[in-house]
Amino acid sequence: MISARKIQGRKTVAVLPVHYPRELFTAMDIRTVELWGPPGPPRGPDAGRIQTYACAIVRNALAFLASGGADAVDAVLFPHTCDSIQGLATLAPDFGGWEKPALRYLHPKGEDRPAARAFVRAELVHLADRLAELTGSPLEIPRLAAAIGLHAKIDRLRGALLSRRAFLGMGDPALYRLLRRGEFLGPEDHLAELADAARGLGEERMQRGIPLMVTGYVPEPMTLFDSLEAAGAFIAADDYAAVGRRVPAAPPAVGGDPLDTLAAKAFAMPPCPTRGGDQDARMEYLASLYRHSGAAGLIVHVQKFCEPELFDFPAIRRRFARIGAPLLYLEGELENSLSGQVITRLEAFVEMVDAGRMSP
Amino acid sequence: MIVRRVRYEIVSRAIGPILVSTERWRRRLRDRKGGRAKAPFGPPLESTRKLKELTTLHYLTGRFADGAVPVAWVTSGFPVEVLRTLGFHTVYPENHGAICSVKRMVPVLSGAVEREGYSRDLCGYARADLGSVATGNTPVGRLPKPDLLCCCTNICQTVLYWYRALAVHFRVPLVVIDTPFVYGEARPHLLAYIADQLRELAEIAERVAGRKVDRATLAGTMRLAREGTSLWDECLRAGRARPSPWTGFDSFFHLAPIVAMRGTRECNAYYRMLRDELNDRVARGVGGIADERVRLLWDNLPIWFHLRDLSTVLARNGFNVVCATYTNAWAEAGAMLDPADPEGSSARAYLHVLLNRDLPHKLSVMKRLCREYGAAGAIFHSDRSCKPYSIGQIDLMGRLAAEEGVRGLLLEADHADPRAWSEAQAYNRLHAFMELFR
Repeated sequence: MISARKIQGRKTVAVLPVHYPRELFTAMDIRTVELWGPPGPPRGPDAGRIQTYACAIVRNALAFLASGGADAVDAVLFPHTCDSIQGLATLAPDFGGWEKPALRYLHPKGEDRPAARAFVRAELVHLADRLAELTGSPLEIPRLAAAIGLHAKIDRLRGALLSRRAFLGMGDPALYRLLRRGEFLGPEDHLAELADAARGLGEERMQRGIPLMVTGYVPEPMTLFDSLEAAGAFIAADDYAAVGRRVPAAPPAVGGDPLDTLAAKAFAMPPCPTRGGDQDARMEYLASLYRHSGAAGLIVHVQKFCEPELFDFPAIRRRFARIGAPLLYLEGELENSLSGQVITRLEAFVEMVDAGRMSP
Repeated sequence: MIVRRVRYEIVSRAIGPILVSTERWRRRLRDRKGGRAKAPFGPPLESTRKLKELTTLHYLTGRFADGAVPVAWVTSGFPVEVLRTLGFHTVYPENHGAICSVKRMVPVLSGAVEREGYSRDLCGYARADLGSVATGNTPVGRLPKPDLLCCCTNICQTVLYWYRALAVHFRVPLVVIDTPFVYGEARPHLLAYIADQLRELAEIAERVAGRKVDRATLAGTMRLAREGTSLWDECLRAGRARPSPWTGFDSFFHLAPIVAMRGTRECNAYYRMLRDELNDRVARGVGGIADERVRLLWDNLPIWFHLRDLSTVLARNGFNVVCATYTNAWAEAGAMLDPADPEGSSARAYLHVLLNRDLPHKLSVMKRLCREYGAAGAIFHSDRSCKPYSIGQIDLMGRLAAEEGVRGLLLEADHADPRAWSEAQAYNRLHAFMELFR
């Protein structure tokens, strides 16, 4: 896939999780391929360079990069997501594992405030300069405006597919494969596929199973959705960092300086612990998402050792206990498939939620 | 408010010092009856008594602080000078976490919040602190409730998640000084970002304190903070002498004032005393351990709950930890503070702390420390509780061996929670490491 892009003459950048300004890459005609691990056992011995109490995302990524898995790309972008990815962003380029350009995107932590907005804007300019070194062409502002428009369309469609999930005649395994293709497809191709799927959104309820909400980092292994579907459930609301948290809750107004628009978008996203906003605001958002989706239970699906997610779990548990929502906690390490034990827990959870709905 | 303030002043100025001096006399009497066994260590540092008094007084005063003076809970790398200028009483949950660990209270405190859903994989300090908040259980009597929470991400992003949870619990403002990671040298827009945030901090802190920052007082506090840092550096540098007049494990404890009382006269007076005592020991050839043969570097936080046993095993075998990246971190960046430019220099100083910089910088610091202090080996505490400090250690160990000939040992533990400590395994590895130097 990466090689195919190169034949088209485009530069390609591998991107680690999670938040980054995709519009900037589109505007500069650079394709991005996201690197969530990849899942499964580490590909190569370099995973041993990071202690086993760090998350599998960074250990697998180091092993993958060092074993040549991403040699076809022209650079790697390390967003400023968490301490572990930050550590990887100096370990791999500085001590071996990645020889080509290493880009960093330092997004701010905490609330929306003037200092943070100014910082995002400066970071965007800095990143654009680094990308210009990679491509040999500077950023053209009109092209950025066009890219913002293109990605706004993608966001709208992704948002519609997620928020009107019950009215889409497509199972979760197929829907999540489609949504996650945005991690590596060109934006125009992804938009076409989303538009095609969105034509299936009707006024009539198509999903008849048990509606559940999911929150977590990344939906791996993807067989999770097969198991839920087999158990008679579907995902009515999504708060995965990799999926739902990347669809702006209230998109910023387009027009004016595109760099300002892009900076504003960073603060228009749903609350994500990796951005470190207010915890109450996040709980309010999750409760509202749950209520509006009509979900009957919550699955908290986190990566082991993922501090941003783990710190919020007690608050989620408290909040959803108050609502009276059944909750299932799943912790994983980027496995290729779910264990029989986990499948049994999922089935039992769905049965329990179903029984709860039936009871008076 | 007035009654509380009067009580606070009486405790901090009269009752506290009296209690502390009474304790001093009791301790002297106890010591006269039978001193503790010294071998394999050198004579104990006199300053340690003063350190205990200082710490006791700090926590004793803290019990009466809320409602009397503004109280801020603060991370160890937070630019605290503005808060000092406004008369805040500061509480350092990390420092408190270390005390909880030394007292072996972390499993109980952590257990309380693990039942709420906090994972045992999270930072031990955070679990200890949140557990102490949830149960009211603390070895220091009582921690005052905060009026303001102040968190700086220059040591880790964990503190941000931790303080978000505290903000929900206490329902008080949380100020975040977000310090993006520095690769090489800080770019100008990073410095501008921090300086902007420092101005925002001043506004919020002024609102909470109900008074304005006086620029002259701020400059004075900056001067004290810089001087304190420099004095701490002088204390550490005494460890270059052979034998080193103290051990790295001593220095972990003596770090408390520069972390928790930075920018105060008491802090600086204390380090003057310690420096003089250390220099006197150097002049007399008195060592921190009785027979110093091999000198070591320590990387990462201490294993607080096991320091005494670990230092004894090392000292018995003639090994002395003479320098540490952890203690050195508080000696480095403070030198950048400039009373003439509080915001600009604070931005630079607090952005360039060890944990906020890339691995090549960390390696260069380690190499320098090994050369200056004559360390032939290094213990890398692979700390389950501290991922930012631990990621990269395996490569750092290899580089230090290949480029400086400094042999390293990776010792897995946790800085606070003894449940992550496997004594037999650790000592097996430690003894094998020590044999390399025979």
